[in-house]
Amino acid sequence: MTAQAQSTWQAALARALSGCGVEAAAWVPDKRLAPITAALEADAVGVHTLTREEECFAWAAGFRAAGGLPLVLIQCSGLGNSLNAIGSLVVPYGLGFPALVSMRGALGERNPAQMALGRTTVAMLGLLGIQAFPLRRAADVGMIARGAVDVAEGARELAPIILEPELDLAG
Amino acid sequence: MNPTQAVAALLRAHPDALFVASLGTATSALRAASDDGPHLYMGGAMGSALAAAVGVAGKRPQRGVVAVLGDGESLMGAGSLWSLAGVRPPNLLAAVLADGHYTITGGQPLGVPGAFAAVARALGLAAEVAGSEAEIERAARALPRPGLLEIRYDERTWPGPSPFVDPPVVRSRFESAASR
Repeated sequence: MTAQAQSTWQAALARALSGCGVEAAAWVPDKRLAPITAALEADAVGVHTLTREEECFAWAAGFRAAGGLPLVLIQCSGLGNSLNAIGSLVVPYGLGFPALVSMRGALGERNPAQMALGRTTVAMLGLLGIQAFPLRRAADVGMIARGAVDVAEGARELAPIILEPELDLAG
Repeated sequence: MNPTQAVAALLRAHPDALFVASLGTATSALRAASDDGPHLYMGGAMGSALAAAVGVAGKRPQRGVVAVLGDGESLMGAGSLWSLAGVRPPNLLAAVLADGHYTITGGQPLGVPGAFAAVARALGLAAEVAGSEAEIERAARALPRPGLLEIRYDERTWPGPSPFVDPPVVRSRFESAASR
């Protein structure tokens, strides 16, 4: 798939999330997420590059507790770094916000070191009581973004959107 | 000086600021010194308090924000000092209660240098070391933001109130305080 086609779902997702009220974002860089943060910045959503994924969740928890709607973007291997911030801050304090989790260690992966965390990403979230919302088709971007923001704002729960490999493998 | 007196000095310097406290001595001291005010007390997530305070500062740029951190807790999230220097919130002061020990786990000594002000300066942050209530009050008012205040104290007494807070209550009270 071409870079142009890749940027289509990514730019649409950024537009959908900023259109739903996302005000600011934190991430640890990842190639697949980079077009999303570029589109967020083009939409005047501030993006902070932090040192570790756990920090992104803590930053977002503070932003949410102060009354805002933040977004976290991580590669799924970074979920392993983030479990304590999610389990003992985000979940018990009821600080809901959307998160984008870019999958590695799934369909099409060629790096053996990615497989274990890819296989367990959704299970780890489930054990923390968090529902994951998979996104596989570019056509579903708007619906999934709106639904995730509703869960975050209304139900006050972390709403991870799982960016499945099919987004780039299809076509 | 004990930790409750140190935090009381921070509160005198910034009575209207939003305070975030890390789990342990910082949470207990802030509860004691503020008569359990509506602050963002961490009941867990050690190493996350400074990053959470950066998030609070980002959402409320018109408010002063003070992060009250334990020294051991700060080391668990030391990368957040780099993030503080990268994000550069113009309204955030990080205050590290530095007694050289992990108090809540039984008083074990830190295994590394507690050089918080020196590291902050190396990262381009304004930083000072304070050893008395008067020094804390002065530095907390005078330090440019983002800034770091390393507070050295020798009375290693547990402040009293439990650090095991009720998270939904803390969140609800803090949300109201932040939106005022």
